[in-house]
Amino acid sequence: MLLDVLQGAEAGTFIIFLDSVNFSGRSLLKGYINAALKREDVVHVLELEVSEEELRAGLDTQCARRMYFHGGFADPLGWIKRSSFTVPQFTSEDILTLLTPVQQSKSAVLVIDSLSWLLRHLDPVVICKRLQEIKRGGAVKTIIGLLHSDMHQTSLVGSVCHLATTVISLGPRTQGQWALAKTTKRTKSGKVLQEEELFSIQEDLTVHSRVSHTVHTQAEPDSVEADPMANLTFNLRLSEMEREAKEKVALPFVFSQEKKSALLHPGQGAGQIMYEPDANDDFDQEDPDEDLDV
Amino acid sequence: MAAPVRSMSSPSGITCNTTSFQKKSRSKLVSIPGTRPSVQNGQLIVSTGVTSLDYVIGGGLAVGTLLLIEEDRYDSYSRMLLKYFLSEGVICGHELFVASAQDHPDEILQELPAPILDDVTSPQPGQEQAQSSDSDSADDMKIAWRYQNLPKVQTALASSARFGHYYDVSKTMSPDMRQASKCHTFYLPEQPPAESTPTSSMSEAYMALLKAIQRVIHQQGFDGSAPQSKMRNVLRLGLHSLGSALWGDDLCCRESPAHSHSLTTFLYALRALLRSSLSVAMVTVPSHLIQSRVLMGRITRLSDTSIALESFRGSEKETNPLYKDYHGLLHVREVPHLNCLVCEVPDTKDLAFKLKRKQFTIERLHLPPDLSDTVSRVSKVELAAGCGSSATGNKHLDF
Repeated sequence: MLLDVLQGAEAGTFIIFLDSVNFSGRSLLKGYINAALKREDVVHVLELEVSEEELRAGLDTQCARRMYFHGGFADPLGWIKRSSFTVPQFTSEDILTLLTPVQQSKSAVLVIDSLSWLLRHLDPVVICKRLQEIKRGGAVKTIIGLLHSDMHQTSLVGSVCHLATTVISLGPRTQGQWALAKTTKRTKSGKVLQEEELFSIQEDLTVHSRVSHTVHTQAEPDSVEADPMANLTFNLRLSEMEREAKEKVALPFVFSQEKKSALLHPGQGAGQIMYEPDANDDFDQEDPDEDLDV
Repeated sequence: MAAPVRSMSSPSGITCNTTSFQKKSRSKLVSIPGTRPSVQNGQLIVSTGVTSLDYVIGGGLAVGTLLLIEEDRYDSYSRMLLKYFLSEGVICGHELFVASAQDHPDEILQELPAPILDDVTSPQPGQEQAQSSDSDSADDMKIAWRYQNLPKVQTALASSARFGHYYDVSKTMSPDMRQASKCHTFYLPEQPPAESTPTSSMSEAYMALLKAIQRVIHQQGFDGSAPQSKMRNVLRLGLHSLGSALWGDDLCCRESPAHSHSLTTFLYALRALLRSSLSVAMVTVPSHLIQSRVLMGRITRLSDTSIALESFRGSEKETNPLYKDYHGLLHVREVPHLNCLVCEVPDTKDLAFKLKRKQFTIERLHLPPDLSDTVSRVSKVELAAGCGSSATGNKHLDF
């Protein structure tokens, strides 16, 4: 499923790469950018955390021409008026003006590196609103955000992830080059798909994934259940003969079909009680007030 | 007085009858399609659109009350309930008011499930029961006659009388049907910014929403201001995901929110509005994001009925064999106290729901007997002080 997300053709998606100090999600972000450039999307990057050179490294130079940087790295808060994008400019109108000079018929991908930086400098409520505006605006096909989960309160991470259509939380490397990715994808119909995968990123930034087996092995009980019938001093098993004999036994208090029919339709030779109620019969012995005519 | 049902108040007619006893006549009740008086307290109730949910909350949703739904983690089932609620309104010809900050209300309205109107295709629980009992009779258990004719335990919750409709989730309602009922929408990003600064503790977004609701209630005559000759109707309010960050509320983002009274003030005012009008509201709240339990408790107290959905998706309960037939748990947080001190308490608190194509059902959760010798039995044996305490160590039975 991770590869499906990276190939992502759906419009109006908002993907969050959730990483922590144990494992940086930037390599996977570069993998995504690479995949997006390969399928001829226009990629706009809001670089706030690392420089343009660092993000460009390793990408195919031919493809990287369709990649536009809106720098906030050198001067994120606009103190020396050198950058094309500052944090307070994170509104849907300003983003749109950033995109328009290169707006083509091709679909645009907005990469935010990283959301954590924005969240530290703007009110989270404002960020959530503007992300939703950009997502619904239609100018951007996909929004990708990198979020460092250990930098914020869990409630804040939860709120931002609540807006996302896909959340990929990344875990530390378990063995060798493989790292763990837990993908949660919400479809339009409200269905939620979840999968845990191992992935690795090659030198040329292509991503390989395989099914994670760690989860299944954890679910297996580690100790073999002891058979309680193993060392018994008596017999709990029945042979066929014994079972037949057991089924023949008529149990007390059981109304079998035969017994029922025998009671309801008495046979020929059996005696019957005929009774016609008398006027002086006491119908209910328990009732003390039956003579009161109430 | 939650609903203006005045049926037995007139003292006339005593003189002409020999007895003062008067039969409660149905014709004197306010007759609005899709409503009926509750069997318990005579309140005018409407269906939530989910028959078994009606049963859980005591027959239905009383007109003039507020139903709070705590969303499940991914908002899939709570959104479904909201759609059922609105669909039921469309079928009954009620007026709708839909408010959202996330998706446009028109998008929600377009996704309404199609009703199953002809009775042949509707799931009939009685028939299914009969079939299952037939198949069971072949391998009947041998049991003492005393227990043979006991009624089968019925897990699905349903009241005897038919109230509310069933819906097919896989199909959407046809546009003609949808447009037959009047619908007001409120989409927060499209609202003009407020010209005056808010004076109360309510935030701008909630203030705008409250004013919009008030306007609809007043202009359409739901508060009784319209002349009596006009056909009375019920207004159904569906408010999606209140308290989320998109409503400009920082309840979910911070542990000690700056505007902690915003949502509670809104709910208080909303309930006052509902009480004095022929309207009923369903509000969903992403409670799993709200960190402050105190605040969530206040929100619960400010609604009449409150239920919480807990989806198994993404939790360890998903793989638990106990829950394999269900999609999630349903917790009843609060049941309404209307015109009385005591309320209808549901007989069981363990409820689970599942969403089938044609039905959203809530069932009693029956746990199968625990046959493994590890889980709770060990602790019970340990509690029993005298006998058997030596048997806990080794696994095989020792007599």
